[in-house]
Amino acid sequence: MSAIFFILFGGLAIGCAVSMIVQRNPLYSAISLIGVLISLACIYVTLAAPFIAAVQVIVYAGAIMVLVVFVIMLLNVEEEERRSLRLRYLVPAAIFLAAVLVAEVTFIISTVDDSRIQQTHPSVSSNPSDVGLTASIGTHLFTQYLLPFEITSLLLLMAIVGAMTLARRASFTSPNVRVVPGAAVLPRHLIDPDAVADATPVEANTTAEAERLLGLEGAPHAREEN
Amino acid sequence: MDWNFILGIILQFVAITVAFTVVLMIVAYTVLAERRVLAFIQGRLGPNRVGYGGVLQPFADLLKFILKEEIVPDKSTKFVYFLAPIVAITTALMPLIVYPFGPTLTLPFLGEISLVVARFDVGLLYVLGVTSVGVYGIALAGWSSNNKYSLMGGLRSAAQLISYELSLGLALIGVILISGTLDLSSIVEQQSGWYGMRWNIFFQPIGFIIYLISAIAETNRVPFDLPEAETELVAGFHTEYSALKFALFFMAEYVNMFTVSMLAATLFLGGWNGPFISVLPWLGPIYFLGKVIFFLFLYIWIRGTLPRFRFDQLMNFGWKFLLPVAILNIILTATLALLGWI
Repeated sequence: MSAIFFILFGGLAIGCAVSMIVQRNPLYSAISLIGVLISLACIYVTLAAPFIAAVQVIVYAGAIMVLVVFVIMLLNVEEEERRSLRLRYLVPAAIFLAAVLVAEVTFIISTVDDSRIQQTHPSVSSNPSDVGLTASIGTHLFTQYLLPFEITSLLLLMAIVGAMTLARRASFTSPNVRVVPGAAVLPRHLIDPDAVADATPVEANTTAEAERLLGLEGAPHAREEN
Repeated sequence: MDWNFILGIILQFVAITVAFTVVLMIVAYTVLAERRVLAFIQGRLGPNRVGYGGVLQPFADLLKFILKEEIVPDKSTKFVYFLAPIVAITTALMPLIVYPFGPTLTLPFLGEISLVVARFDVGLLYVLGVTSVGVYGIALAGWSSNNKYSLMGGLRSAAQLISYELSLGLALIGVILISGTLDLSSIVEQQSGWYGMRWNIFFQPIGFIIYLISAIAETNRVPFDLPEAETELVAGFHTEYSALKFALFFMAEYVNMFTVSMLAATLFLGGWNGPFISVLPWLGPIYFLGKVIFFLFLYIWIRGTLPRFRFDQLMNFGWKFLLPVAILNIILTATLALLGWI
């Protein structure tokens, strides 16, 4: 019975994976990737790991891929056109690496002892009922593997903070500029578009005053904003 | 394969069919109830011509949906356009199988019957996972129609579902902390104390309110129906859908309403628990469906009462108010659970 499901979902996963690479339309690729993730989740269920399956669907198919689809829809990405290959030397390298991968897989399949797999398979092990279950995963995650778990979450936090720092706009006031009450402090590039990267603030009550301070009076672009 | 195994599979199919039929019938009458109750709130009559007091109206509507002409937009992305309603209705129906409709009943001739189709370790995560895949139905429908109003509806719905799914999931964590399991049947059985009144709502009032608000947003209902706001977006993501494909989206919305109501009843209002449940176990399904119908009525009532949010208000409310309150609720619940007070 589980062999039927394995062939069904494994075939579906491989088919979706091939489709993901072959499709020209980025949204079709994204849909195929969702298909891969859901088929893998179904395989996890047949391997007696329901928690991993549920988390796979919630996190990957339900959260990350929604963001991917969202961005594709928002940017209205067109279909890819076949361009002439610029990095031709990569083709033999790719073939070589693929050959290495195939060799590795063949080596593993031919040398691994089947009897040992049987012993560690959850459905044959001594305590089959609680290997992939939520309680056992939770207990192990918060006792035996607490440090790796916390380090991973710290890593993700660092990635989030890093992304926010990179994406943040230049600060509007630098700490050593005193803001006079009633006076607006503007970053310089708001008044002078040529100085895009320059975040030096300008103290002025009106845009005209700021332009006068910067010596930009009568500049063609300065009035356009009004 | 022996005969017992095949018989088991056939019984499962029968159980799934019965559950789906019951739920779809209730859903059909929710649509009628919504129209009649809204009409009552607005001082109108509502549909009352087909059958006695309009009881056959849902079937008349369905017949009309089937017989209408199908119009497919010329420039649409055909495959995705046809896929979207299928995804919407499938993901709406799939969670139904894990809800316990009642306790194990002992019937004459048939023996013991358990009123839940499938009972497994991660029932709650299964519901959340299937629901989170459901957003693709709406998002892809909006994208594939090749219509800017549809696209805006799809984008809004994706943004809204991502934002409110977080608060919804975090609101449920309080219940999980109290009950210590993700299996919906066990969660219901744990609430059977105090003569069937030991409901989680008494321990999780904040979580219940957060869940209720996020659930309305998850199902795209008024006041959070921005994805299909008819004053701005014609009909939102399903503008270009007609005939039975539109009916599938319509049904999916009401089935989703039904599932979030069932989840609220199961997790916070004790599921099939109620007074005298230990002596009269067949009261279980009545209690359960009664609670679900109460939530459905609440939804209709809210729709008749509240105006629609603006989109930036919706986002601010979700991220800056609901999410912090949900996190504070988790901290509070965890502290109390650690001290052994609940």
